[in-house]
Amino acid sequence: MADARETDNQDAGDSLYAVRQKVYPRAVTGAFATARWAMVWITQLVFYGLCWLPWNDRQAVLFHLGERKFYIFGWVFWPQDVFYLSILLIISAYSLFLFTAVAGRLWCGFACPQTVYTEIFLWIEKFFEGDRAKRMKLDAQEASVGKLWRKSAKYVAWIALSLWTGITFVGYFTPIREILHGLSSLTLGGWEWFWIFFYGGFTYLMAGVMREQVCKFMCPYARFQGVMFDPDTLVITYDEERGEPRGSRRKGSDPRSQGLGDCVDCGICVQVCPTGIDIRKGLQYECIGCAACIDACDQVMDKVGSPRGLIRYSTENAIKQHWGGRDILRHVLRPRILIYSVVLCIICVTFVWALATRTPLRLDVIKDRSIISREAEGGMIENVYVLNLMNMAESDRSVQLAVSGLPGVSLDGVDAAIVMPPARNQSLPVRVRVPMDELEKGSHRIWFELRAVDDPSLLIREKAVFIVR
Amino acid sequence: MSEWMKSRLIVILWPSFLMAGMAEVVFFTFIDPQQLYLLGRPVHFSQTATYSIGFIAFWLLCAASSAATLFFMRSSAEINPQPD
Ligand code: SF4
Ligand code: SF4
Repeated sequence: MADARETDNQDAGDSLYAVRQKVYPRAVTGAFATARWAMVWITQLVFYGLCWLPWNDRQAVLFHLGERKFYIFGWVFWPQDVFYLSILLIISAYSLFLFTAVAGRLWCGFACPQTVYTEIFLWIEKFFEGDRAKRMKLDAQEASVGKLWRKSAKYVAWIALSLWTGITFVGYFTPIREILHGLSSLTLGGWEWFWIFFYGGFTYLMAGVMREQVCKFMCPYARFQGVMFDPDTLVITYDEERGEPRGSRRKGSDPRSQGLGDCVDCGICVQVCPTGIDIRKGLQYECIGCAACIDACDQVMDKVGSPRGLIRYSTENAIKQHWGGRDILRHVLRPRILIYSVVLCIICVTFVWALATRTPLRLDVIKDRSIISREAEGGMIENVYVLNLMNMAESDRSVQLAVSGLPGVSLDGVDAAIVMPPARNQSLPVRVRVPMDELEKGSHRIWFELRAVDDPSLLIREKAVFIVR
Repeated sequence: MSEWMKSRLIVILWPSFLMAGMAEVVFFTFIDPQQLYLLGRPVHFSQTATYSIGFIAFWLLCAASSAATLFFMRSSAEINPQPD
């Protein structure tokens, strides 16, 4: 890996200035290609579909910026819940670490939006322009009616898909039905338009134009993946010992008797590579682990009658020491992986536990600064507070408010039961009174208590300061 | 546009885009746009507008920083007048 990282610097530096050679990836079929298409379907069905799913009379998943609330199925998250968001981020980062240590850039090859959209865009390209050889010929051709229509049809399809992606994206922040209604009645706000075009434009640029350059020059993950690799990490490897010396041969002839390895030097592994590299030169940082070259080479091996797996998932140690599958698997469970997994499990359990025990009520005390403390009738001292009550659930809730912590302390101006509307916060000014003769001058601690009427075990206490002058 | 310009633009605009995204999330998680004041008056834009303007402002700021980094990284050969 060390070498890969060294060349990586040079390459990145050079290629930033070098004129880019357009990569024309050839379409592949095979187990890994099928797996990638399965991932394309799953992720995109979720992405394009989820915003249409209703739940409790609203969109099931909606990051409602206008209301500053995140709706995720039955949950409503508020800015106060940033804790959950940060745990989620930690879980994602840790999973990425774990997966990368086990099997390299699985994320890149199968789940990254960059890969997924490039795959879809390539499919459209192939649909209109044909596969690799045809596309290269078409690009080299003089302008003609046929070329014009193929190219424009492709661009129209790309633009339509990009716009729909932009609309869907914005539909997670403003209800999608409102957006469609706004589009059809031409009343959509300017900023919504802006973000639709922005996200759509980005999709087009990344998946249609920049493609592998995003992985090579813009992706932060591609830059630091090397630190997560070790000699027992599964990566796409060309079995040099078995393949070399490469060279073409007559069909059916025995390569060994001609002093040849298994590689027929057909170059198909290079043609299918979306980043345009030659995996036979060893692991390079450009390799996104898509396994297209495995699928391609396996087909070639089937054709020439050699065993599959000249290019395969293997580890540095396995290649060096000629391990079989079982030895490789044994080394998956190394200390590093075990530690990652244990930490990940702990964080996940914490997350689920925190989510399950999340209280659906919240109480914040804001002291009214203008009136600190004053004498009220009947020999009482009075302090005024503004309480912020929050009902996080999506149904009404009756609550009772009480105050404790000082002898004779009482609340004034609060109903016996307060009905809190669903998923709202409300501010409530309250007066707290304490008999004057009970108290010394200075500040005293009191507690506000909010109790759900339907569930007395649901109790929140929030402390506050009572001042006597 | 020359490749040189293009690579410069990416180096300026892209990292600042990522950082602006993070800044946006952190900032607006802790601060409600309706509690913001602009030149002494409460902000009266729609929420979407405030978030969008916030993001673009963050992006511009970060891009300015990236551009400054690039500017100061010029080698002496690039700064000194070239003898011809
Ligand atoms: S070398 Fe193979 S696995 Fe790596 S990016 Fe190219 S085709 Fe995909
Ligand atoms: S696809 Fe396989 S046989 Fe063909 S050049 Fe690549 S490694 Fe050699």
